[in-house]
Amino acid sequence: MSDRLRRLAEVLVGYSGGVRPGDLTVLQGPVNVEPLLEELYGAVLRAGGHPTVRCSPELDDLLFREGSERQLEWQTPGEREDIDQADVWIVVDAPSNTKALTSVDPEREALVQRARRPWRERYLERALAGELRWVLTAFPTNGAAQDAEMSLAEYERFLYGAAMLDAGDPAERWRAFSEVLGRVAEFLMTKEEIRFVAEGTDLTFAVSGARTWLASDGHENFPDGEVFTAPLDESAEGEITFTFPAVFSGRQVDDVRLRFHEGEVVEASASRGEEFLREMVALDDGARRVGELAFGLNDAVRVFTRNILFDEKIGGTMHLALGSAYSEVGGTNRSALHWDMICDLRSGGEVYADGELVYRDGRFLGLT
Amino acid sequence: MTDPRVARLGELVVDYSLGLEPEKVLRIDAPPVAEPLAVEVYRAALAAGAHPYVDLQLERLPELLLAEANDRQLDYVSPISKAEIELVDAIVTIWSESNTRALTHADPERHQRLLGASQELAKRRWQRMSAGDLGWLGMLFPTEAHAQDAQMSLAEYESFVFRACHVEEPGDAVAHWEGVRRELGARAESLSEARELRIVGPGTDLTVGVEGRRWQPADGRYNMPDGEVYTSPLETATEGEISFVFPALFHGREVADIRLRFENGEVVAAEASRGREYLDAMLEMDDGARRLGEVAFGLNYEIDRFTQNTLFDEKIGGTMHVALGAAFEDLGGRNESGLHWDLVCDLREDGEVYADGELVWRAGRFLESAAPARV
Repeated sequence: MSDRLRRLAEVLVGYSGGVRPGDLTVLQGPVNVEPLLEELYGAVLRAGGHPTVRCSPELDDLLFREGSERQLEWQTPGEREDIDQADVWIVVDAPSNTKALTSVDPEREALVQRARRPWRERYLERALAGELRWVLTAFPTNGAAQDAEMSLAEYERFLYGAAMLDAGDPAERWRAFSEVLGRVAEFLMTKEEIRFVAEGTDLTFAVSGARTWLASDGHENFPDGEVFTAPLDESAEGEITFTFPAVFSGRQVDDVRLRFHEGEVVEASASRGEEFLREMVALDDGARRVGELAFGLNDAVRVFTRNILFDEKIGGTMHLALGSAYSEVGGTNRSALHWDMICDLRSGGEVYADGELVYRDGRFLGLT
Repeated sequence: MTDPRVARLGELVVDYSLGLEPEKVLRIDAPPVAEPLAVEVYRAALAAGAHPYVDLQLERLPELLLAEANDRQLDYVSPISKAEIELVDAIVTIWSESNTRALTHADPERHQRLLGASQELAKRRWQRMSAGDLGWLGMLFPTEAHAQDAQMSLAEYESFVFRACHVEEPGDAVAHWEGVRRELGARAESLSEARELRIVGPGTDLTVGVEGRRWQPADGRYNMPDGEVYTSPLETATEGEISFVFPALFHGREVADIRLRFENGEVVAAEASRGREYLDAMLEMDDGARRLGEVAFGLNYEIDRFTQNTLFDEKIGGTMHVALGAAFEDLGGRNESGLHWDLVCDLREDGEVYADGELVWRAGRFLESAAPARV
C-alpha cells in the first residue's frame, strides 16, 4: 500500500503537476487522505517545490444543514489565495460517505454552485494562461468502494490499475498513452459533425470552426484517458439515453433521457431523481446547453463506479456535460453547472463523423 | 456521536473567549487528532453567524520538512500564508499532538532555522492582535499523548481537561468564566498597588520588584483553560533564590529540580539534577535570558496537578511561576530576549507570599478576597 501511495505521489507531482523547483504547490484533500498528502508533501520537497497543505474535516454536511445563505455562499480567504497564487494545485477527492448530502435542499445546492462559479472561472482562467497547473485525483476510501460495489482492497486494485501504477514506470506508461490519445484527437479535428447512434440515442453535434479536440492524458485529471471538445452551442439536435446513472454532488439520477433542439434541452426525464435533474437544468441559461462532448478511452476502467473521475474515462463510452464549457477547446457556453453524463457504446453503439462510420462497439475503427 | 463536553467547549470559546460576531472570519488551526473539537468550534461559529474554516495541520509534515528540505525550502514562507494572516479576524489554535516527543531528535540548527522562517508571520500576527484587529485563542483537545505525559488514562485526562475548562458538567460555563473574569480583574487591580513581592517556600526566598507594573488577569480570553494573574517585574530588582519542584519542560526537553539564585535581577547561580547543560545553554542565549520577564500566580483550582504541559501547569491553583526571558511590553516590562521559559513553583504545602512586608498568601491561597473591580 505505502509503496503504491509513494508511486502515486511521484507520478502526480512529476508527471501530472510537473512540479519544478520553486513552484508553490497546494495539496488539498480531506483529513482521511492524510497518508497520501504526506507522500505528496515529500514528493514536492524532493522536486524542489514548496508544498503547502490545505486539509479540512468533511464539513459540507454541517455547513448545508446549519449554515445561513451568506455562510453557504462565502469563500474562505485560503481558498481565494490558493486559486490566485498557486503554481500547482493537486486536489484529492476521497469521500467517507458519498451520500452525505443526499437530503440537502437542491435550491441550497444550486446556491452554492452559483456562488462558486467565479472561483471556478478564475482557476480555469489561470490554467488557460499557463499560470496554474491543477490536477484532480482520487484516493481509495470505503465510501467510494461501496458506491462501486467493491471491497476496499478490490477498489484499490481498480484505482491503481486505472492509474497504471500496477507495473512498470508509471510516467513512461502515461507518456505512451498520451500519444494514443493525441492520435484520436488529431483524427477528430478533421471532422465537422459527429452523430451518436445507440439504443434510445440519435444525437448530432457540430464540432467544427473554432473548436478543438484535446487529449486529457493525466495532467488535469488522474487517472485519465479521454478526448474532449465543446460542441457548437446551438448544434445539439436529437435525443440521448444515458445508460449509466447520472451522479452529481452525491445525488443519483437514473435513466436520464434528454431531447435537444437547436442546442438546448427541450425535454428531460428520468426514472428516479427527475426533480433534481430539472432543478439543475434550470440553474441558469447555460445549464440547458452542452458544454462538453467526449470519448472515454481508458481500457483499464471497465466498470461503472459512480465516481465521475473514473466513469467518464471508461473505455468505449461517450459523455456530455450540461453546463460550462472549457475555453481551452474554444467553448463559449457559461454556467455554474458542469454535469457529466455517460453513455455506454460498447455493445452496438456507433459514431458517424461527417456521415462516415468511424467507431463501433466502443472502438475507433483502425485507430486505437 | 459528539461528546457533549466537546460541544460545550466549542461554544464556550466562540461565545465567551472570542465573543465572535456575525460576518467575522475565523480560522481554526488544528491537527487531525483534534478534529472533533475543531468541528465543534466550527459549528459554534456557524451558529454565531461567522465565517469559520478549519485548517488541519498534518503532524508529520514538520518532521518531513526537517528531514528532506533544502535551505530554500526551510526558509520559505508561503505568500498564501502572508495574505491569509491579513484576512482573518480571529484564530483558534488547538495544540494537540499525537506524540509530544516527535521532534526530540530533529537537528536543532535546522529546527531553529525553520522556527526563524515562521517569525515573520508570528510577528505580523502579534501586531494585528495587539492592535485589536485579530482575536486569538489557544486551547487543547485531550489525546493519548498528552494523557501519557500527564501519567493518566485518556478518560481520566479528558475529565481533567474538561474540568479545568469548566465544561465537564452541563451548566453555564460562560457564567463561570465571567465570574473568573471579575475575580481575577479585582485581584490584578489590587496587586498593581504592590511595590515588592517576597515569595517564601521550600528552597525559596525570592524578592521581586513590581512597582509601577500593571498586573493582567488571564481569564479565558487567550487561553482555555485559563486562570492566572501576571505581570513583568522590574528588571534589576529580583534578589534571592527559588526552587522548582516540577520538572521544567521546554521544546520537548526536560530539566529537573532547577534552583536559581538572583542578584540585582540577574541569575548568578543555576543548578539542576537533570538537564543542567540545557539550562545553562538557555541562560546563555542572550542578555535578557538571565532576567525575569514574568511573575504570576496560578489560580485555577480545578487544575490540581502537574501534567507536563505549560498551558495547564502555569495555571495550577496555588502555584506561582516566573519566566526567564522576554517580558510583556504592554504591562511595562522591558526585558528583551529570544527566550520565554515558564518555570512553576509549588506553594501549595507551605508557601507564603508577602506584599510590601504584609502576608497576603499562604499555602496556595490569597488570605483575603480582592476588592471588587471598579467598572
